[in-house]
Amino acid sequence: MKKIYPLLLLFFVNASLSAQLPSKGGHLGGSFESYTQFYQKDQKINAILPQDRVGSNNYLKLDYNNRNFSAGVQFESYLPSIAGFPFTINESKIVNKYFKYTAKKFSVQVGDFYEQFGSGLIFRSWENRQIGINNAIEGVNVQVSPLSFIKIKAIAGRQRKVFDHANSTVRGADVEIDFSAIKKDAAPTTRVSAGFSYVTRYQQYTGPDHDFPSTAKAAAARLDINGSAASLSIEYIHRGKDPSAANLMSTSTGKALLINSSYAKKNIGVTLSFRSMNNMDFRGERNAIGTEVPVNFIPALTKQHDYLTTNIYVYNAQSLGETGGQVDLFYNLKGKNNKPSTFSINFSHYRNPDNLTSLISFGNNKYFQDFSIDWKKKWSTKWNTTFSYHNLFYNKSVVEGGIYENIKANIILLNALYKYGKQKSFRFELQHLFSQQDNGNWLAAVTEFGFAPNWSFYLSDLYNYDVTKINYPTIGGSYTKKGSRFSLSYGRQRAGLFCVGGICRFVPAATAITATLTTTFNN
Amino acid sequence: MVKFTFAFLLFNFLSSNPIYSQTELPAVSIKTLSGQQRDFSTLVAKGADTITVISLWATWCIPCIQELETINDQYAERQKEKPFKLIAISVDDARTAARVRSFVAGKGWNFDIYLDTNSDLKRALNVNDVPHLLIIKNGKIIHQQNGYVPGNEEELFEKIKAL
Repeated sequence: MKKIYPLLLLFFVNASLSAQLPSKGGHLGGSFESYTQFYQKDQKINAILPQDRVGSNNYLKLDYNNRNFSAGVQFESYLPSIAGFPFTINESKIVNKYFKYTAKKFSVQVGDFYEQFGSGLIFRSWENRQIGINNAIEGVNVQVSPLSFIKIKAIAGRQRKVFDHANSTVRGADVEIDFSAIKKDAAPTTRVSAGFSYVTRYQQYTGPDHDFPSTAKAAAARLDINGSAASLSIEYIHRGKDPSAANLMSTSTGKALLINSSYAKKNIGVTLSFRSMNNMDFRGERNAIGTEVPVNFIPALTKQHDYLTTNIYVYNAQSLGETGGQVDLFYNLKGKNNKPSTFSINFSHYRNPDNLTSLISFGNNKYFQDFSIDWKKKWSTKWNTTFSYHNLFYNKSVVEGGIYENIKANIILLNALYKYGKQKSFRFELQHLFSQQDNGNWLAAVTEFGFAPNWSFYLSDLYNYDVTKINYPTIGGSYTKKGSRFSLSYGRQRAGLFCVGGICRFVPAATAITATLTTTFNN
Repeated sequence: MVKFTFAFLLFNFLSSNPIYSQTELPAVSIKTLSGQQRDFSTLVAKGADTITVISLWATWCIPCIQELETINDQYAERQKEKPFKLIAISVDDARTAARVRSFVAGKGWNFDIYLDTNSDLKRALNVNDVPHLLIIKNGKIIHQQNGYVPGNEEELFEKIKAL
């Protein structure tokens, strides 16, 4: 693999030199992100105190483009990694490097790349810095469109594992056929496309079991039908035997079915999702768990919440066995004089499958249920409010592991924004969570002052007044200019599941000063 | 060798002003709401005077929604001052991408929406977080704005007017 780098450099020099010729041109872009925390002793919340009381995650990314060529690097520095990150290291390194050539009908990328087949149920390599996931593949990614309606992708390589690589090889291919593009002249109102994927992971096995599968194989098929208003997509995946720590050395196969359908017309939209799966944990290494080297992507298909109290009981998809779905309804009640009311309703429900061999069977152990309704109203050009009600059921024993009482909770919240000047605003949130179980009732309030275009300040508190009597206050502010943003905050962080984009990790309680700096340089 | 590559890149970055051209916009594949693939670099308005505003957003991002609603409310009116095209590209991944189409319908938005499900475009444009706005003219990124504070739209419309 290392042999590609001199080659990469050669192309780089070549590309850079040609960049100096005005007739051709080239572009260098990049980004920098720094997240630094200074921790304080806080016995009330049993905060963990790292040895040197500091954690700092830093990322520098540079990309160079010249016509069909692009190349780039990513440098990461953990000085050391922030408390509660899935790994603890005190190191800096160039971790991602790539070179890519894109032509009209094909592209080839060598080095580290991100890719996804279908919805990712079979394969997804991606990055999420907040939760500390980066399973970029170091290898080759070739994409070809031999005909306008066919796209073929082939990948091979090894997954990134923190600053190292998984000791396995992932290979895969995906074909997507757009049936509605076969006839060139027609502009059909209904589009039909289908896709097929095949992914394998080879990891050497040196144990005593002669029948042990060193290669795990998975195949998936998907169909998408898109009308002018209605749409339907179906995806099915089957994975062969892959005994691993995450599936408790199960010798059975895994499978999943995902169905999404929606109806959307001006001012109204409905989406229905159903997903059922068993034994679908699929990783680059047999002993990997948590956020380590996933091959596929299994997010919780629930509403992703944004508020302090709605993020206390967060679902985490149960890849070993789960069945359920959700319904979303979005409606715009156009008010008079450009003062619309918008409604969004979500209902999700997940439980165990009754029978592990059937994908459509419902067991009697409820895992999670969430009903929520949001009403957003614009009262004038100055005022708008959002009112929400949530009713949820959370099976803590299943989601967090252990033996706990099931939790039922109701949440009400109000979020109001008042613009008292062209560029001045005041926002406040009031929230209350009612529960008889776990830590009982919570109260939260947020106030935020905005001074566009650059400044914003906030003060928030989450308070468990019922059981633990602990306050989680935070004060902070940010300065934004063009592609850069600096923010500073001081406060207490609640221990709990922190979820972004469908993957969750458990963050510890901490009291800290947090400084973040992000910048994008494109111009 | 790797260090050398990096040093070379850094040197290149520090020592020379990159020369901009039509190639500035990455040729990254994104999808329409009905699943068709589109090359991002070809979406942007080609007319010499046409300004394109790109907004990277997500259904779970409250400031993004606030910003797009505000722009949508003034979209027709502001077009009269100076015409521009708005393209909103959702970075929702497989967790929430299925609801983008109905979400947008329920908002009654009047601009084009695309999907960047595995953040390929977000990465190519070196965007750290959403919301993130870009103003593009003649294939060049003229201005960008990270984050949204209510009132930021005034700055955006002023920038567009001045172009």
